[in-house]
Amino acid sequence: MRITGIAFLFLCVVVALRGQTETDLADGKATFRSNCAFCHGLTGGGGRGPALSSGRFLHGSADDDIKNVIRGGVAGTTMPAFEFEKDELDRLVAYVRTLSATTGKAAGAGPVAGDAAKGRQVYARSGCAGCHRVGAEGSVFGPELTRIGAGRSADYIRESIVNPSADVPEEFAGVTVITRDGKRIAGVRVNEDTFSVQLRDASQNFRMFQKDEVQQVLRETKSLMPVYRSLSQDDLQNLLAYLDGLRGDLNAGAGVKKEKGIR
Amino acid sequence: MKLAAGVLCLALAPLVTAQNVTYERLLHALDEQQNWLTYWGDYGAVRHRDLKQISTANVKDLRLDWIFQTGQAGSFETVPLVVDGVMYLTGGNGYAYALDARSGRQLWIYKHAFPPGRKGNGVNRGFAILGDRLFMVTPDANVVALDARTGRLLWQTEMASFNNGQYTATLAPLVIKDKVIVGISGAELGIRGFIDAYDPATGKRMWRFWAVPAKGEPGGETWLADSWKRGGGSTWMTGTYDPQLNTLYWGVGNPGPDLYGETRKGDNLYTCSLVALDPDTGKLKWHFQFTPHDTHDWDAAETPMLLDLKWKGRDRKVVVEANRNAFFYVLDRETGEFLMGKPFARQNWASELDAKGRPILMKNQAPSPEGSQVCPGLAGAANFMAPSYNPETKLFYFAVREQCDVYYTNAPVYIEGRPYWGSVTRALTEEPEWGLLKALDPLTGETKWDFRYFHAPWAGTVSTGGGLIFAGDADGYLMAFDARSGKNLWRINTGSPIVNSPMTYMVSGRQYVTMPSGSAVLTFALPH
Repeated sequence: MRITGIAFLFLCVVVALRGQTETDLADGKATFRSNCAFCHGLTGGGGRGPALSSGRFLHGSADDDIKNVIRGGVAGTTMPAFEFEKDELDRLVAYVRTLSATTGKAAGAGPVAGDAAKGRQVYARSGCAGCHRVGAEGSVFGPELTRIGAGRSADYIRESIVNPSADVPEEFAGVTVITRDGKRIAGVRVNEDTFSVQLRDASQNFRMFQKDEVQQVLRETKSLMPVYRSLSQDDLQNLLAYLDGLRGDLNAGAGVKKEKGIR
Repeated sequence: MKLAAGVLCLALAPLVTAQNVTYERLLHALDEQQNWLTYWGDYGAVRHRDLKQISTANVKDLRLDWIFQTGQAGSFETVPLVVDGVMYLTGGNGYAYALDARSGRQLWIYKHAFPPGRKGNGVNRGFAILGDRLFMVTPDANVVALDARTGRLLWQTEMASFNNGQYTATLAPLVIKDKVIVGISGAELGIRGFIDAYDPATGKRMWRFWAVPAKGEPGGETWLADSWKRGGGSTWMTGTYDPQLNTLYWGVGNPGPDLYGETRKGDNLYTCSLVALDPDTGKLKWHFQFTPHDTHDWDAAETPMLLDLKWKGRDRKVVVEANRNAFFYVLDRETGEFLMGKPFARQNWASELDAKGRPILMKNQAPSPEGSQVCPGLAGAANFMAPSYNPETKLFYFAVREQCDVYYTNAPVYIEGRPYWGSVTRALTEEPEWGLLKALDPLTGETKWDFRYFHAPWAGTVSTGGGLIFAGDADGYLMAFDARSGKNLWRINTGSPIVNSPMTYMVSGRQYVTMPSGSAVLTFALPH
């Protein structure tokens, strides 16, 4: 009788633990969907942010490493810092772990195929530095790519090259100002309010307008970046390998702003 | 002769002496057009001043007259009082000030003493005054009485146990007769809201109205199980008052948890409602619920403005409100009868309001685990910033927020002093927010004119006899508009988002417009 009693107790504990774990994972999933899926994809396959389904994490694979990234954000990327309760964070990390468990070491695992050195030549030949910046080289007109491999998945980068309008970050939204004499001035919107708009043009100059002194201010729905669909498969793959390998340091101590709309 | 000259000088000098703001003066606040004696400026929150010195003809010459720097960081949400040349205002973080309203020079400063371990930060929206006493609330949920002459603390009363920041307070109190009436904040942290009345002399509580009824009380049946205990219902904005009907009108906030309704099935009275109370007893006269069983944080903290309108050929006392849920409402304020409700902004949650004003819900409007795209967003199509009404144009002027959110839901865990939301919202990235200043006919709900803002605004309006509407936007502009045409006649970039409502007053024959912005009080006037 005594043994049965212990066995029964043990069974109860196991059932309780299992039940709690399932609830925990459901909670973790809900937290993931509402906070993380927007960038990392509903099943962690990646998007704006890196894939989380490969079992390989850029900033360390221990639970504490992942928690540090979530709590602190990642400088130089759009990964913001999140404030979660301890339990909530535990459940979230437990759920994130299941993403790689279910999808195995599929897409996104390991470095991107291709020749990064050749990719660098494609980058130079295609005039990318006319708008982008890697380290000290290039223009500030478009997004900086110094750390692009750490902040974006390879799929996202590929799409940005062949279809740049698929996702335009708000801070690189294009604006065209039509002056009273009919001139069109296009640029990246640096700032805008009810009465004025400030652009950066492709020559990296600020262009600043009062709205009542121009004909029209148009928000461009498409990216200002040209479409690079004519690149050969090899060139594209090599370019991807080069960009994926860009994981340089930005200026140390740069704060990570909480992304607008994310709490 | 010398004596006579002395007397004359005394009469002309602005009186910066003992204040004696009796209840009689508050009742007839609009007989003192030069002053601003209550948070709304008048008991009905009409916010129109018949001051004509600054007008459509000369507002282009309006310029900065003085600045007062508080040095306090955070959102500056106060609306100052002006009493006979003295400006009284609260700042963030428990600070308050008295200033010379002509020069901005400080007369006194008050700093609320926070007990050790309590956070001392938080916004505040202003003072109430009675006699020579000022009343304010604090971020740690105290009601405080100050001597208007010195800023000295007279009494302070804790409204509710602070509980690690669960209970907070931000509003400007409202004085009615011999009572100081206040509300509470904290529905996002699992409180049970209430409206309180305190004795101005002693700080003793005189009555409490629970904004969320308990099980067994009328309305208690609209809450599942014990959910009423953390049912939310903040009462975080100042109410309005009709002395003839002796009725106090107060908006009640959202139910908690904000975005998760499964554990609180039912209509969740009196959340997202306007309640009409007897100010002598705190007893409920009637209620009207704008948003039953809200799961979008669309509280009813927006201004319940009291107007006397010719409604379908008949004189009617009404209360009008541009609600956070994107509908403009007209109710009979004697009975609470629903008279009209029309959308004033984009909304995709209610197909219509029925004959009694209850919304008919559309599909897919509830927050979901995958996210539901709903307009308006969490901050609503309107919010706490004050509207105004011009009795000459007969139009209602208010700020409209055009912004949608993706609403997520998930069962929350209650931890004292921590957010109890039930998940989150995210702004739509592919569609930027924007806003409007709108002039609306309250008889029809139709727009007469509007002016587009680049961002969704957080600033209210004030109307003047000079034919002007002063308004602010989220990019920091204070602007003046022609009340009839909507033409923008004047503007200045104040350098910080404006998160409150402008006001106007007069001292020694000169009209001023005041707009707190950033950490500064900015006051404008025409050149001498």
